Amino acid sequence: MRFSHNLLSVGLIVLLASFAVPAQRKSRTARRAKPAPAKVSVEAINTDALKVLIAKPKDKPLLVSFWATWCDPCRDEFPDLVKIDKDYRPQSLDFVTISLDEVADIKTSVPAFLSQMKATMPAYLLDVKDPEPAINAVDPRWQGDLPATFLYNAKGEIIYKHVGRVNTVELREAIEKLIKN
Amino acid sequence: MKTRNVSILLAAILVIVGAVVAGSGRSSSEIPAPPAIGATIEEFTLPDVDGHDRAFKSLKGKNGTVLIFIAVQCPVSNAYNERMEKLAEDYQAKGVAVIGINANASDDAATVKAHAATKGLKFPILKDPANKLADKLGASKTPEAYFIDGNNKLLYHGRIDNSQNPDAIESNDLRQAIDSALGGKPIEKPEAKAFGCSIKRA
Repeated sequence: MRFSHNLLSVGLIVLLASFAVPAQRKSRTARRAKPAPAKVSVEAINTDALKVLIAKPKDKPLLVSFWATWCDPCRDEFPDLVKIDKDYRPQSLDFVTISLDEVADIKTSVPAFLSQMKATMPAYLLDVKDPEPAINAVDPRWQGDLPATFLYNAKGEIIYKHVGRVNTVELREAIEKLIKN
Repeated sequence: MKTRNVSILLAAILVIVGAVVAGSGRSSSEIPAPPAIGATIEEFTLPDVDGHDRAFKSLKGKNGTVLIFIAVQCPVSNAYNERMEKLAEDYQAKGVAVIGINANASDDAATVKAHAATKGLKFPILKDPANKLADKLGASKTPEAYFIDGNNKLLYHGRIDNSQNPDAIESNDLRQAIDSALGGKPIEKPEAKAFGCSIKRA
């Protein structure tokens, strides 16, 4: 009885070890193979270029996220947006982010945050002296509150918009609906 | 069976909580549109940072009042602290009062009071706990200003100026609106927009 108990214990240890060793090897391999974080570049965009970006003919829906590193809910929602980006772009959706940070941050805190978020969608920073024409070009009803998310159909019409932290359930539903149509 | 039911219940609770957490914020369409320029703003009463009810009519200026939605955490609102305090000081002698309104559910009265003391904001600040005033004025962000004349007529709505950075101001929209009104002239630009932090509604 005691012998068989010991045998069982040894067997269990061997079995556990056989799982643990490859896992350890795998994690070492993964650590070694981990690529250096990609350098994110952020492009300056003015109001005219923003208008073109929104209005140009598209073959798929366009999602635009307005955000800033100083905006808590913007930082909070970013991982959700990155997941949406990974799930839908580039096959079914175009997605760009537009930062409202200071131009001085275009090579520092803005790409650093995007890199930290592993965000690979095209990234812009609005470079304007007066923000009002850009806000009105996006949506005359928008007051400029951040974060703000706009989903355009291929014709450039706003199909879905949201201010404040994004509602991922609603946004995904709106994207799915657009893609299916 | 009982365990299974509990699991289903727990899963349902998780889904509901997840949806609520993921969905804070409001669609633009849910925030009421701001009143038109020229509309009359109704009298209101809100608690101050000590919890005492304060009627608008007891705080307003003879020649007009500036209501500014402000926040404790918002860096844009904070970038304007000195400018807002200077505005209040500059226009007090001209019969124009400045009142700060904090409609963020995330900022309690004690925090707002401590923040005002730290930042040197001496103008009165009222809490708008149920967002009644924010909804009435269609306020969506901080900072967001409304200039109302002595008869409660809305004369200006929008930004304080065009830039968070005081060195890059090119259009002092709020001051220009007040000066025009005090000088009996028409306000050239009664509405102007800028970026700001969304109000964290209750």
